[in-house]
Amino acid sequence: MKCIECGHEAPVSDFRYLYNARIDSSISIRQCMKCQEWIAVDEIKGVATQKIGPGEAPWGKSAGIEGLAEDARQ
Amino acid sequence: MAQAALKDTSVKEFEKKQEWWWAAEKKRSKRLDYLRKAIWKKGAIGGLYAPGVKVDLERAQLHTQKAKEMEMSPDAYVIKFAKMFAHILDNKTIFITDHAQLVGYTGSLPHTMGWDPSAASILNEEAFNDPTAIPDPVDVNQKVIREINNYWIGKTDLDKMMPVFDMEDLMKMLSGSIGWGVPLARGGYSSKDYEYIMTGKRAFAAIIDELDRKIDEVDEEVHQPGANAEISKAYDKLNNWDAMKITLEAGIRIAKRYARLARIIAENFEEDPKRKEELLKIAQTCERVPAHPPRNLQESFQYDIFIQMMSRTEAIEGAWPSRPDYYHGPYYDKDVNIDKTLTREEALDLVGEFIIRAAEVCQFKPKWTREGLQGIDGTWVWTIGGVDRNGKDACNDLTVALMQAARLVRVANPTLSFRWHPKVKDEVMREIFECNRQGLGYPNMRNDPILVANTMHWYGHPIEEARLWANQACLSPCPTTKHGFQPMRMANATANCAKIIEYVFTSGFDPVVNMQVGAETPDVATFKNFEEFFAAWTLQMQTIFSILVRAVNRARTLAPTMTPRPFLSGVSERSIESGLDTLDPSIERGNSWITAFTWVENVDSLAAVKKLVFEDKKYTLAQLKEALAKNWEGLEEMRLDFVKNAPKWGNDDDYVDDIMLRCLDEAAKFSKVLKDPSGNNWPILPENVSGNIHYANIVGALPNGRRLGDALYDGGISPGPGLDKKGPTAVLKSCGKIDHITGGRAFLLNQRLSPTQLAGEKGYQLWSSYIRTWADLGIDHIQFNMVDDATLRSAQKDPEKYQEVIVRVAGYSAHFVDVSRKTQDNIIQRTVQGLG
Repeated sequence: MKCIECGHEAPVSDFRYLYNARIDSSISIRQCMKCQEWIAVDEIKGVATQKIGPGEAPWGKSAGIEGLAEDARQ
Repeated sequence: MAQAALKDTSVKEFEKKQEWWWAAEKKRSKRLDYLRKAIWKKGAIGGLYAPGVKVDLERAQLHTQKAKEMEMSPDAYVIKFAKMFAHILDNKTIFITDHAQLVGYTGSLPHTMGWDPSAASILNEEAFNDPTAIPDPVDVNQKVIREINNYWIGKTDLDKMMPVFDMEDLMKMLSGSIGWGVPLARGGYSSKDYEYIMTGKRAFAAIIDELDRKIDEVDEEVHQPGANAEISKAYDKLNNWDAMKITLEAGIRIAKRYARLARIIAENFEEDPKRKEELLKIAQTCERVPAHPPRNLQESFQYDIFIQMMSRTEAIEGAWPSRPDYYHGPYYDKDVNIDKTLTREEALDLVGEFIIRAAEVCQFKPKWTREGLQGIDGTWVWTIGGVDRNGKDACNDLTVALMQAARLVRVANPTLSFRWHPKVKDEVMREIFECNRQGLGYPNMRNDPILVANTMHWYGHPIEEARLWANQACLSPCPTTKHGFQPMRMANATANCAKIIEYVFTSGFDPVVNMQVGAETPDVATFKNFEEFFAAWTLQMQTIFSILVRAVNRARTLAPTMTPRPFLSGVSERSIESGLDTLDPSIERGNSWITAFTWVENVDSLAAVKKLVFEDKKYTLAQLKEALAKNWEGLEEMRLDFVKNAPKWGNDDDYVDDIMLRCLDEAAKFSKVLKDPSGNNWPILPENVSGNIHYANIVGALPNGRRLGDALYDGGISPGPGLDKKGPTAVLKSCGKIDHITGGRAFLLNQRLSPTQLAGEKGYQLWSSYIRTWADLGIDHIQFNMVDDATLRSAQKDPEKYQEVIVRVAGYSAHFVDVSRKTQDNIIQRTVQGLG
């Protein structure tokens, strides 16, 4: 897998596993051992999908929020 | 926010934007605004204290100084201990905050955290090793701490007790894998005998008179001709009574020091006539209490604060069991409604200040505690509402005032816990709703009829006493009565229950701490059916619970002599009467419980194993064992199978809900096998505080699809975040299948609701109807987060701007910016339930 920030390449398991984005999703949050960036990883494809900064949620909206008009628009 | 912007924006505009913290700032009085901003943020941010908050060396030095001085004294230990307590109170620095009407703090200065060096060397070493909490100059004060620590090595409570514990149990417990805390009777949650001390019938001076009578009477008896076992015991009683007297007298003296300070400032320094008058009122108040019973609301609050301050000088108390509306309410009524000596606005100021004085209280804690209670110092859960001893509605004007004041001061600690019952008036319910809608995360709702019955079922408290319960920590009801109150519940009877299912796969070996902790059950791969698997689960559960309970029982048995509490005894009727330390199990009915952290993972994991291994036969136990050992690495499709294709708790699905009931049934049966030193039961209480994050790197991969590192589920019986797919009623129906009277002590349920959906009258009606369903289903607890995703994500991006956003973590609330990123994400991940 290639780090989306610094381009470092290594097997997915070498990127430090931090925690899941959601238990029922194949996206996890891992840390690049070279640049220390937090990245979202698609665990099935073995691909880094985005950097994870504060306030960014790779899992999208919280579960259940879709049914709540005002919140869903935000 | 810039002052100009704050000034130009109206309260209504802030409320419309759901920026409740700015609205509160504009609405509260100048005094409350000042007092709210004058306190230091004491809760740890993640696991570290905020900049500027420092360990209180003065108290530690006073304690050590007196201990050294008395080393060769012939006094009994309890007397020495009481003298150390008195020495601290007599010599500590005291202060009065500008504009304050109430005084008293555990530390010597507002930014300090009380540090008791006599509790445990492992705590003392944390003080030494935490440079961020050491006062400047760090290098000099680190040496001071080293000297203090060196003196106490081998002399602290825990150091003295360790050699008389079972070493194997102790090592397993202190490994940090299955428990949380240490078995120490001066560290945990102390309930109080409020019926004795807080009903206006007596205060310290009257108790001292009673102690003198007892001492004289028994002293005379032991010197009559004759000898027997009772006389031998009487010498210990005399020491205990003497020690109680020493502490109560010291309590009166420190109050008089506050009175003198207030008078000195008023008469020599204060120029504002109004403030001068207030300072003289403080002086009169402190001359009155705690020596004599309070006569008005200010005295009543002050009396309570003094008792809390003294109790927290004597022990490291991690909770604040109380029932403020019940015990202070009559004074509110007298001052505001009868005598009219206080306007409602003035009373609200006083109530708000009472909350703020509690919010600033802090005692230095080890890191594991801080991580498990991110954002707060301890669970100051104040119980309101409920019924009186005759079953009549106990809500009063102060119940409402406390909730109104809470919305104005917006502190994360203390929080309020409301005892709901069918006779609660609509106006009170609206106040509860408003607090929650404004994002405080409290009051939580407790089902009073259920919990009164539960308290009677598990411990045999008589109904009149059971009705007087207050939360002893987050959730456990404890009567505030002579034999009902529990003087200490030690935090180490807290089980990290996810280890139960983990140990089934490792035969009890803990790969994180690298030692055999659980039972050596057979290799999981050899189990032929679910019943064999479940039997191993049951044995692991019993083994973990037993290790923790044995340690607590041992500590409680040793406590009266090794870790006595003369001050707490001095405000306890049973000790005054018997001459026994209040920790003596023989005079307590017993109110023990095992806090079951990370419980629901067991249920979802068992369901996944039953379905995918034994019924669908998609995987073998050997394959699953290997997958867990690999932390699911490279096995994502298999992991998702265990998440998505196995039933999950919280969806009204009998398949998995029945497993929950079976697990609870096994725990409940074993709760009656386990006995505390009073001879009573040890029911379980599933809840988490922020233990679900603390244990994230301690619990290995599990069959529910969790990996090592992932946050565990957030609540005691809350479904996994995002796994409750069928809506709020299905969650309630699942939880309603549990017998909340006989199934366990209490069950924490977190729910996240949409603040936008719940706006206005329609929102209140939706919530109200939801609460009726909750009550009808006999669920004992529920609490709410009503802060939307957008606000929480904005707070992550720009924490400075959102310093005041409060969220419900588990049994407590915290400022969102004070909890770790993982906890923040975990809160955001929780399912937002739409009502209606």
